[in-house]
Amino acid sequence: MFTARTFTINGQQYDVAIEDGETLLDVLRDRLHLTGTKKGCDSGDCGACTVLIDGEPLNSCLLLASTVEDRSITTIEGLARNGELTPLQKSFVAEGGLQCGYCTPGMVLSATALLERNPDPSADEIKDALAGNLCRCTGYTGILRAVERCKNYLEGGQCAKPRGVEPSGVGASIPRIDAADKVTGRALYTADISLPYMVHGKILGSPIAHGLVKRIDVSKAKALPGVLAVLTGADVTDTKHGVSPARYDEDVLAKDKVRHIGDPVAAVAAVDEKTAERALKLIEVEYERLPVLTDAMEAIKEGAPLIHEKYKSNICTTVDFNFGDVETAFKESHYVREETFVGNNVFQSPLEPHASISTWSHDGNLTLYTSTQVPPYVQYMMAHLLHIPLGKIRVIRPAVGGGFGTKAATTPLDICSALLSRACGRPVKMVYSREEMFQYGRGRHKQHMKIKLGVDREGKIKAVKSEVHLDGGAYTSFGVATAYYAGSMIPTLYKIPNYRYDGYRVMTNKPACGAMRGHGVPQPRFAFECLLSMAADDLGIDPIEIRRRNAMTPNTMTVNDLDIGSCEFSATLDAVAGKSAWKDKYGKLPKGKGIGIGCGGFVSGAGYCIYRGQVQLSHEKGREPFQKKSIFPHANAVVRVTEDGEAAVLMIGAAEIGQGSDTVLVQMCAQSLGIPASRMRMQSADSEISPLDLGAYSSRVTFMAGHAVSRAGAMVLEKMKPYAAALLGCAASEVEARDGTVFVRGDASRSVLWAEVARKCFNADGPLVGTGWYKPPEGLGGDYKGATVGTSPAYSFGSSVCEVSVDLETGKVKIDKFTDYHDCGTPINPQGVHGQVEGAIVMGAGETVMEGVAFGDDGQLLNPNLHGYLIMTIKDAPEIFSGVVDSYEPRGPFGAKEIGEGSTLPVLGAVAHAIANATGVWIKDLPITPEKIVNAIRQKKAADAARRERRDEPVTAK
Amino acid sequence: MHIPSIEVHKAATLAEASALLGRFSPDVRLLAGGTDVLVDLKTARFSVGHLVALGGIKKLRGVTEERDGLRIGALTTITELDRSPLVAGAYAALRDATSRMATPQVRNAATVGGNVAGAVPCADLPPILIAMNATALLSSDKGERTVALEDLVVGPRTTVLRDNELLAAVNVPRPPERFGAAYARFGLREANAIAVAGVAVALALNDDRTVRSARIALCAVAPAPKFVKEATRLLVGRVLDERACAQAAALAMEAAEPISDLRGSAEYRRELVGTLTRRALAAAQQRIGR
Ligand SMILES: Cc1cc2nc3c(=O)[nH]c(=O)nc-3n(C[C@H](O)[C@H](O)[C@H](O)COP(=O)(O)OP(=O)(O)OC[C@H]3O[C@@H](n4cnc5c(N)ncnc54)[C@H](O)[C@@H]3O)c2cc1C
Ligand code: FES
Ligand code: FES
Repeated sequence: MFTARTFTINGQQYDVAIEDGETLLDVLRDRLHLTGTKKGCDSGDCGACTVLIDGEPLNSCLLLASTVEDRSITTIEGLARNGELTPLQKSFVAEGGLQCGYCTPGMVLSATALLERNPDPSADEIKDALAGNLCRCTGYTGILRAVERCKNYLEGGQCAKPRGVEPSGVGASIPRIDAADKVTGRALYTADISLPYMVHGKILGSPIAHGLVKRIDVSKAKALPGVLAVLTGADVTDTKHGVSPARYDEDVLAKDKVRHIGDPVAAVAAVDEKTAERALKLIEVEYERLPVLTDAMEAIKEGAPLIHEKYKSNICTTVDFNFGDVETAFKESHYVREETFVGNNVFQSPLEPHASISTWSHDGNLTLYTSTQVPPYVQYMMAHLLHIPLGKIRVIRPAVGGGFGTKAATTPLDICSALLSRACGRPVKMVYSREEMFQYGRGRHKQHMKIKLGVDREGKIKAVKSEVHLDGGAYTSFGVATAYYAGSMIPTLYKIPNYRYDGYRVMTNKPACGAMRGHGVPQPRFAFECLLSMAADDLGIDPIEIRRRNAMTPNTMTVNDLDIGSCEFSATLDAVAGKSAWKDKYGKLPKGKGIGIGCGGFVSGAGYCIYRGQVQLSHEKGREPFQKKSIFPHANAVVRVTEDGEAAVLMIGAAEIGQGSDTVLVQMCAQSLGIPASRMRMQSADSEISPLDLGAYSSRVTFMAGHAVSRAGAMVLEKMKPYAAALLGCAASEVEARDGTVFVRGDASRSVLWAEVARKCFNADGPLVGTGWYKPPEGLGGDYKGATVGTSPAYSFGSSVCEVSVDLETGKVKIDKFTDYHDCGTPINPQGVHGQVEGAIVMGAGETVMEGVAFGDDGQLLNPNLHGYLIMTIKDAPEIFSGVVDSYEPRGPFGAKEIGEGSTLPVLGAVAHAIANATGVWIKDLPITPEKIVNAIRQKKAADAARRERRDEPVTAK
Repeated sequence: MHIPSIEVHKAATLAEASALLGRFSPDVRLLAGGTDVLVDLKTARFSVGHLVALGGIKKLRGVTEERDGLRIGALTTITELDRSPLVAGAYAALRDATSRMATPQVRNAATVGGNVAGAVPCADLPPILIAMNATALLSSDKGERTVALEDLVVGPRTTVLRDNELLAAVNVPRPPERFGAAYARFGLREANAIAVAGVAVALALNDDRTVRSARIALCAVAPAPKFVKEATRLLVGRVLDERACAQAAALAMEAAEPISDLRGSAEYRRELVGTLTRRALAAAQQRIGR
């Protein structure tokens, strides 16, 4: 029943007919199109939906709109007046208070309410006030800084006005180019978009974790008024999909079998989401239950039921690396220790849920709006599944609210929205609920790791051997690459002369795991770092010193044929040791206080892309034999100067997902063009406009897309040089450009405006356009099976020192402080670098102490929400110091490498070591919960007492 | 998930609310701050055709100082209680609960009535209210009655409230001289973490520092807030030395009936109860001063 209601929102009256059960959030977004208010969880846990009600922050997802008619409602759209940002919004922009921006409207509103009440809050008061707003990107550091420094942006404050022409090129910490849109709620994410005549889709997921689909009856759903299309496995293609071409094992909709809770069984399109949800309930499915496997170590046992017939022993990939002679080296080692570690199934939990909108043209072209990190892979997979050429598919990537790897593949939403849209002839929008996000998964593999280390008397590594079982869930997804990565990256950080790795990627009846930040490496890295610190303690060598003795050096070929170029790993060790006052603290802290070290690094882009052939449909042509080179460029850019020469439009399909790629790419392109970044516009969202860039994964964008955009900019400048030379009366080779001026090298007084030269170019030659592309170097990697995984044009390095306090009675850990130094090459945008590090530290620390998807024996997810699956709040986040060491990577653009994923790797080991240092017990299975700590302390006490008793006995006997 | 079709009735008075409850029972729920009700409706924990919204009943809102203590209207939000200048002195122990539960946004909506009468086992206010000897004022169109807070909740999401009865207010008696209370809770995050376990303690001492009265109540370790009656008997008349505190902690651990779930095993919870009891006793004692 609809009732006409009147709301006062941002001082304006809105009349709208709504049902009694509608939340304020849905009314704002769906009925009034005030989409600045975000839906992150729909259950009060995340704060993305925060609005001010009579000046106080509330969750609009927990308010029935029908009960707030008489209240004054402020949404993010209502803060800026006449286009002028509030001081707080300016502060968020300038201080790096946001990345993906999905938490930002809520964050800004909560902080606005605080400052209204308390204009000069302390750090603790700010944290208290923002404790209900989760952020997955920033580590809260920039946010805290933004609120603390808001005063500076008040009228007349020290930063109120921009100071002259600020440097904006490479190396400048310019604010993100999308920041203003994100603090005002103008940035459009996929779920914010609404197309005319659009309808809504929902997927029916399996309620059981393993079973056969015996019968599906959709007649009742079809008969429900408002339902436009219902699809089941029988209605869709038999073509399977996935990530690794050799292991496409996912059905669009279940054909005969379901393999995890939430496995897609049917899809419905209806006039609105609520009707679609009702329709799902009317679909009758009969299942025959099969035994459920939730534990990888059980799944590989003989006689375990097979989840896929084709994967014997439920193993879809086996890796066997064997370099040198580990067994002999262990025999020759002075000290050998072997330990077993277990990781956790961590889920990325970006604040923005996955979302897709599909719409077809009359001539059979698909436009897909999708929240993705990898537009070209989505385009490719959609072509594969729809059996149409890639050229008929346009992928638009609106603003993306974080990914961290769960948006690195084609989702059921992409596929089903396209199929439903084709079936009903209308645009179809589909958005995951928070629970569905967990059921879709693609989080971190839970790895069971047995790892053995041998060192000589000085602590120099002689050999490392590891055996890892990766619990990957019901489908392969990225699993092949994950299993290789888990082994291939260990030898990049320390010199390991003999190395053996056996990896097994195991299927279980859980949502598929994928490529989460640091892809496959963080858990083995955690295990290795813990083991190295244990060895150091056993040998009486300082844990930082043992790392120095083994540290990778520049221009080294690792034992597994990875070509390390620049490497300032040792410098990061020295820097963290100094900055954290390590020597004064390690081993000298009171009980309950601890300090620990962890190190790590990552690739700057994968040397080879997932599809090694041409950009084409995989079924058009057989797979080509592998060649050690990329067939097509991985990053491609076009830059077009506007006809008046005042602006340049950069076009590249590089996926901005919150990490800040649009901003650094603009900076690099502007630098090579010779204009300020403020004169650049970015077009990275639309495959129809921007040429292919593979996307935001393997920390590749700054490096690879950076090359493409700088080359495109350089080409434009080359085209301008003859015209400039004519105007300046010099040779073309003497022309330089900077900050919008073109001048004679060595004599800046002979100059002409950049725009004037650009106009001359246009007048004479038409469009002034430059193109650039990047292919990784040829020949990367060795000649063994799996040698391509881990190859990269450059590697990052980093060291982190973590300090903790542990309540020894309850086991509660407070991560107090992090000191981190990275070798990320030469930073393009230092603020962006620190933002990545801060975010990675908080995500990684949370992963170490509190995160993990839990499953019942029946495969049910026990915590598919943000009150069961805990991520750190601003009050949990440590104080962070992030620094970079001097470094220049000759193969990188402007000397840059990567920071996005490498920043995660040192964190887990550092936290675990600090906890061990504080408590005297090593916890080797993640997450390190208070309960595990208490139990371990108790066990240690009992063991110590027993040992003392044993030692005492002979004494008394004598 | 969207909330299925539902009708919201806005009550202007207590009597009207009671009448509406009576009329639609059992297909009805009260709606106060909605922080539990909306989540429950969306996740289909229950479904009803009608909600009776209390927001319009002004009389139910606010904290007032009465002759015999503090009266907290059921519709008072957690934030209002937290910020009330009347929550001062010995009453300030209430803030141990109000300042640490949920999030600022949730506290701005959530009401005292919802927290208490919602009868969720991990609700943070009931234990400290029980320790402070609070009573619940229940109201229906047939009249009012008062029950001790420890007798209000009988199980998970079940109370002694009758079909058309609602909680109108919570009364916290004026604390005697030399009184101190504290609530110690343990959550898995620094903020917005449901209590894994909590222990509330209220103490009054005689001039010779022997215990005149002591009340201990537990959170999240039993189907309902758990009043540890035996602790009163144990402590009254004694000096609160380490041994007495340890014995009280042991009693509390014994009284707990924890379950194992995602947040912690039963054994761990029981252990927490011991630790938290000692800490709450120490904090309450410290608040009494010398
Ligand atoms: C993100 C989040 C975090 C939370 N964290 C905590 C926490 O840390 N600690 C904690 O204790 N709680 C927590 N909660 C639960 C909840 O916020 C509180 O229990 C809150 O106080 C409930 O009050 P309400 O007004 O919102 O109740 P409502 O949702 O409106 O109602 C809850 C129940 O109480 C009944 N009810 C309400 N008022 C009355 C009345 N006057 N008489 C009789 N029955 C009534 C309703 O019918 C319903 O059954 C959290 C909730 C969320 C969403
Ligand atoms: S959407 Fe409302 S709190 Fe997450
Ligand atoms: S910026 Fe906070 S969630 Fe992305």
